[in-house]
Amino acid sequence: MEFEFTEDQLELQRAVRDILDAEAPPELARAVADGESDGAELWGTLAGLEWPAMALPADAGGLGFGWVELAIVLEELGRHAAPGPFVATVTQFAPLVLEAAGPEDAAVLLSDVAAGRTTGTVAVDEGAGTWDPAGVQATTRRDGDHLVLSGTKHYVVDGATADEIAAVVRLDGEVRVVLVPGSSVQPVEVMPIDPGVRHSTVSLDGVRVPADRLLGRGDATRATRRALEESVAAIAAITLGACQQIFDIINAHAKERIQFGVPIGSFQAVKHKLADMYRDIERARVLVYYAALTLAEDHPDRTLAASMAKAAAGEAQRRCVQDGLQLAGGIGYTWEHDLHLFLRRAKVGELHFGSASHHRRRVARLFLQSGAA
Amino acid sequence: MRLTYSPEVEAFRAEFSAWLDANLPDEAATAVRPRSSADIPEWSRSFQRRMFDDGWLVPGYPPEFGGRNADLYEQAVFWEELGRRRITQSFNPQGLGIVSASIITFGTGEQKHRWAVPIMRAERTAALGMSEPGAGSDLAGLSTRAVLDGDRFIVNGQKVWTSGAHHADVLLAFVRTDPDVPKHKGISALIIETDTPGLVRRPFRDITRPDPDFNEVFFDDVEVPRENLVGELNDGWRVCTGSLAHEREMLWILWSQGLDRMLDDMLEQLNDGAGAGAAGDPVVLDGLGSSIMDSWALRLLGQRQLARSRRGLHVADQSLLKLLGSEAQQKLSLLMLEALGPAGLDRTVPPDAQSPYESDRAALSWADRYFFTFAGTISGGTSEIHRNIIAERVLGQPR
Repeated sequence: MEFEFTEDQLELQRAVRDILDAEAPPELARAVADGESDGAELWGTLAGLEWPAMALPADAGGLGFGWVELAIVLEELGRHAAPGPFVATVTQFAPLVLEAAGPEDAAVLLSDVAAGRTTGTVAVDEGAGTWDPAGVQATTRRDGDHLVLSGTKHYVVDGATADEIAAVVRLDGEVRVVLVPGSSVQPVEVMPIDPGVRHSTVSLDGVRVPADRLLGRGDATRATRRALEESVAAIAAITLGACQQIFDIINAHAKERIQFGVPIGSFQAVKHKLADMYRDIERARVLVYYAALTLAEDHPDRTLAASMAKAAAGEAQRRCVQDGLQLAGGIGYTWEHDLHLFLRRAKVGELHFGSASHHRRRVARLFLQSGAA
Repeated sequence: MRLTYSPEVEAFRAEFSAWLDANLPDEAATAVRPRSSADIPEWSRSFQRRMFDDGWLVPGYPPEFGGRNADLYEQAVFWEELGRRRITQSFNPQGLGIVSASIITFGTGEQKHRWAVPIMRAERTAALGMSEPGAGSDLAGLSTRAVLDGDRFIVNGQKVWTSGAHHADVLLAFVRTDPDVPKHKGISALIIETDTPGLVRRPFRDITRPDPDFNEVFFDDVEVPRENLVGELNDGWRVCTGSLAHEREMLWILWSQGLDRMLDDMLEQLNDGAGAGAAGDPVVLDGLGSSIMDSWALRLLGQRQLARSRRGLHVADQSLLKLLGSEAQQKLSLLMLEALGPAGLDRTVPPDAQSPYESDRAALSWADRYFFTFAGTISGGTSEIHRNIIAERVLGQPR
């Protein structure tokens, strides 16, 4: 295998970083945290640059970039704690529509997403925090040429703002995906630890949509699982980026902060924490890009790889938040310092779409079933 | 980025695999087992010699030194094949991997043919004399003294942890030749025959096995010909760090294979062996998941290092790989020991638990494996030293 970026991928990484350095500086994340911005302007800019189209198939007006390229973008979004609907729209909504509706119908449904005119999200979890479609209890039933929904969805990212919600519900016992206009539900937004990534509790009770909003044919459990593999890997990439930013802040701090007449980075107690953060980040980095590669090639390892990426990013996050906040000393505990902007993004990444522990146990079960490492 | 090797690299793998099919000794011939890391049974000596002569012992070397100028990916699949078939490259790993490698890198043409080639062809075995009672992590603080007296050195002092020395024909020993300069600048590397008068080896046991491997080696006015100096006088630190670099270049593959070996054994026991009861325990599953991730991460980080090295980029992850690999083995063996409960205390190893072509240490009981992993986190630079190295050399923190 050739496990390093190509020249084109490195060029993309530089370009994405430059754009986000200019368009999503820490001041933007701070303005969002202070309630002075909703990040809409950034979305407009990114849409103008065709970012939403990047990873979508050409039939849907997309640019057909691969998943490794998408992961590069996501890592940088995390590194900048960038706000906005990109993540839910491109890595949650679009994959679920693609998997559930099939490529032809999805091309029509996603053309407005590719053009940056429509935002979306998914409504899967019902409180367990595992995003497992097998646990879905919400239902829909036919009523003439309409569908009527019932049930409550939790942790719907951008649930109060997305134009379209792809809701996973049961129809006659089968798992199905129904597109629900955001304007037709009454979301209750949860007070978010990271105001740049908001989620809502969404009641579907009594929501009526035309029957043609039912995607695909037959049970969508597998389609949902496949789509969620992309969402899970995406959050892992974002969390990785947030961890890298935390680490960069702390590694620089340890070189500059003088106590007892020397930089604190000269103390082994500090060095060893930094080395452990670096180890966990690099471990997560290779697993995130392995997941990206398996998704890009639709390789059979994608299920395992997505869970490994998510769990490794979660472990890296745990150490970087814990030791990063500790090593920053008092200054990192202040609102004025930028550190908390990234701590928040990293923590959200751990708890959305299944915790590290959930995914570790999943990895172990897959291993025990498969019979090989 | 891509997931597979090129067809050329796969062809290389197939060629080696076919060679192994044709040349691996019969299992019946392998009854005599190595007693230490410098004791090679006759059947294994002849196999190692055949690997050398056919260019399969160290594929990255030129043919005169047992290789075929293989590139890094070809070397990687060579190791993958050995690992998959559970074949140890040499029962004298430090002799081959460090002593002969150092002589080939730093020695004269005559030294290469007098020492390196016989060690590689398993005609002679070698041990590495580095650590001393007062020089472990601070290796450059070593004090075994060698005084140049005409055309010979007179050596006095002591080495310790010298693996396999009691069975080795020669030592590559690092000695102080100039005590009046900064410590790194007064060290030289000498090849010392172990039967030289005044040299005494005292093997001692470690906590995991009955046969000793470690030795104390005492030097009492040991005379060493000047021609046994490897590299320049007082330039031994370069030989020393160079030899460790040899050790570390592909070392991740061995960490990775050791970890995968543990996972394979664990899988077997959790699915239908002594550990079947633990397979449903969420705490065990949680830890197992993390170890599986360690295994993948190690392999991927190693592959990334290969890809970078092939592009001529600076490669700085050796400490990271060593730290991750050695600690991952420790974490997993402890997990399995605890998962088994009191059954894990049994030191019995099933007779078919290992292949005859690998070291008898490949399949210890979980309790012994756990103890044995400390050989990984202590030797070759302790985990603490590697954390310092990462912080200073990779992350740029002050010393």
